[in-house]
Amino acid sequence: MAPKKRHLAPLLLIAPALIVLTVFLVIPYLNIILMSFRTPGNGVPYGAGWTIANYGKFLSDPFYLFQIANTLWIGVVTTLVCLVAGFPVAWQLARGSNRWRGLYYGIVLAPLLIGIVIRSYGWTILLGNNGVINRALIGAGLVDGPLPLMYNGLGIIIALTHVLLPFMILPISSALQGVDPSLEAAARSLGASRAITFRRIVLPLALPGIQAGSMLVFVLAISAYVTPALIGGLRVKTMAVTVVDALIDTFQWPFGSALALALSVIGALSVIAFARLTRTKWKAP
Amino acid sequence: MGQRLFASYCILIYAFLLAPIVVVVAASFNAGAFLTFPPQGLSLRWYVTFFENEVFMRAIRTSLFVALITTVISGTIGTAGALYAVQFAGRLKEAVRLAMLAPLLLPEVLTAIALLFFVYAIGIGTRTMVGMIAGHVLITLPFVFINVSAALESFDPSWDLAARSLGADRLTRFRRIMLPLIKSGVIGGCLFAFIISFDTFTISFMLKGIGTSTLPIQLFDYLRTNFTPEAAAVSSLSIALTVAVVLVTEKLLGLKIHRF
Repeated sequence: MAPKKRHLAPLLLIAPALIVLTVFLVIPYLNIILMSFRTPGNGVPYGAGWTIANYGKFLSDPFYLFQIANTLWIGVVTTLVCLVAGFPVAWQLARGSNRWRGLYYGIVLAPLLIGIVIRSYGWTILLGNNGVINRALIGAGLVDGPLPLMYNGLGIIIALTHVLLPFMILPISSALQGVDPSLEAAARSLGASRAITFRRIVLPLALPGIQAGSMLVFVLAISAYVTPALIGGLRVKTMAVTVVDALIDTFQWPFGSALALALSVIGALSVIAFARLTRTKWKAP
Repeated sequence: MGQRLFASYCILIYAFLLAPIVVVVAASFNAGAFLTFPPQGLSLRWYVTFFENEVFMRAIRTSLFVALITTVISGTIGTAGALYAVQFAGRLKEAVRLAMLAPLLLPEVLTAIALLFFVYAIGIGTRTMVGMIAGHVLITLPFVFINVSAALESFDPSWDLAARSLGADRLTRFRRIMLPLIKSGVIGGCLFAFIISFDTFTISFMLKGIGTSTLPIQLFDYLRTNFTPEAAAVSSLSIALTVAVVLVTEKLLGLKIHRF
C-alpha cells in the first residue's frame, strides 16, 4: 500500500460527517449571521442593503431587555431548583445499594425518553386551573379558587426542572462515583460532623459534576422553546418564544435572526462567566 | 431519622419525575369526553378514535419514516466519524470531537431557524423533507458519536493486531473483530438517534412542510384547540413505542448507553 493512500483512506471515514456539518450547520449559521445585518423587507423576507439597526432595536427596546432578564432569571432559578432537587438523588444513585439502581436510573432517564410535547401536556393536566392539583386542593377545602400554577413563570420553572433534572443528576452522580467513600469514613472517624464532612470533603469533590450539570441545565433552560410556549401561555414569554414569534408569525427575518443570535451570545457569555467564577478552587469557609 | 428523611426526599423526586407520564397514561383510559383526573370510568374509546383518525396515523407514519432514515444516516456517518476520531485523528482528535458535538452545543431553536433560512435560500424550501431530515441528522449525530467513541475507547488495539498477524485483511478485521466489539455502542447510539428523532419538536416544527407533520407536531397542533383524552391516547402510544424499543433492544443485545 502506498503511504499516501494509507494517509488519505481514513479521511473517507470522517468526510461524510464533515460534509453534512459544513453544508447543514456551518453555512446556515453563517447565513443567519448575515441575515441579522440585513434591512427589514416590505412583503419580502428582507430588503436591500445592510444595517446594524436590528441589534439597535433590540438593545434600545425595554420590552426585549425585560424579556432577556426574565429568561435569565428563569434559567437561574431552574438551575438552582435542579441542583437542590437533584443532588440527593445523584448521591443515592452513586452510593445506594445495587438492587434498585437499574430502576432508579430508568426513572431518572424517563423524562428524556418521552417527547417534550407529551411531557408538557402531562403538566397541563396536573397544573391547569382545572387540573389534578387544583382539584385536589379545592376538594380538600384548602383553597377557595384554583391557584395559578400554569401560564406563569412558576409553571415554566416546574416543567423545565422536570425536563432538565436528568442533566443535573447524571453528571453529579458520575462525579460522586469517582469519590472514594473511605474519604468520608476517614473524615468522620477523625471527628468531623456530617455537615463538615459534606462541606469539606464531598462537595469539593463533586464540584466538577455540579459545574457541568449546572451549565447544561442553564443553557438548555434559557434556550428552551416548547416548554415555555406550551406552559407559559400567552402572558409569559421567554426569548426563544419571542424569537420564533418574530420569525414565523410576523415574518421579520433579519430582526428575528438578530434576536436569536443575541440570545445565543448571552447564553454563551453566561456560561463562560459561570465557568470563570467556579473555576477558582473551592475554599471551605 | 436522617436516613429516612433522605430516602423520602429521593422518593418524592422520583415521583415528580414520573408524575406527568403517569397522569398522561391514566388520562388516556378515561371514558369521559373531557380530560379529568381521576378518570370517569375506564375505556379504550380514545384509542379507537385515535386509530380511526387519519391525520394522526399519517403523522405516525411520517415520524417513523423520518426516524428510520435519520437513524440510518446518522448511524453510518456518526460511526465512521467516531472510528476516525478515535483511531486515526491523532492530534486532531479534540477538534474532530468538538465538530461532531457542535450540534449538541448550539441551541436547537437557533439551528432550526438557520436551517429554515438555508433551505429557502437554496430554493428547495420545505416542499421536500430534505431540510427536516438534515436537521434530525444534525441533532442525533452527537449521540451516535458519543456512544460509538466510548465503545471504541475501550477497544484493545492488540486484538486488531493479533488478527492482522494471522493474515486477516482490513475488511475481515473490521467485520469480525471491530464491529462485534463496538456493537453495543453502535446500537446504543442508533437507539438514541431513533428516539430523539421520533420525539424531537423544534426542528420538525420549523422545517415541516405541508403534509409532513410528525407526531409531536400533530399533537402540538391538536392540543392548541382540543382537550379530549385522544391526545392522551396518542401520547401513551408514543410512550409505549419508545419503551418497547428500549426494552426490546436491551433484551436482545444487552446494550450499554452512554448519554454523556
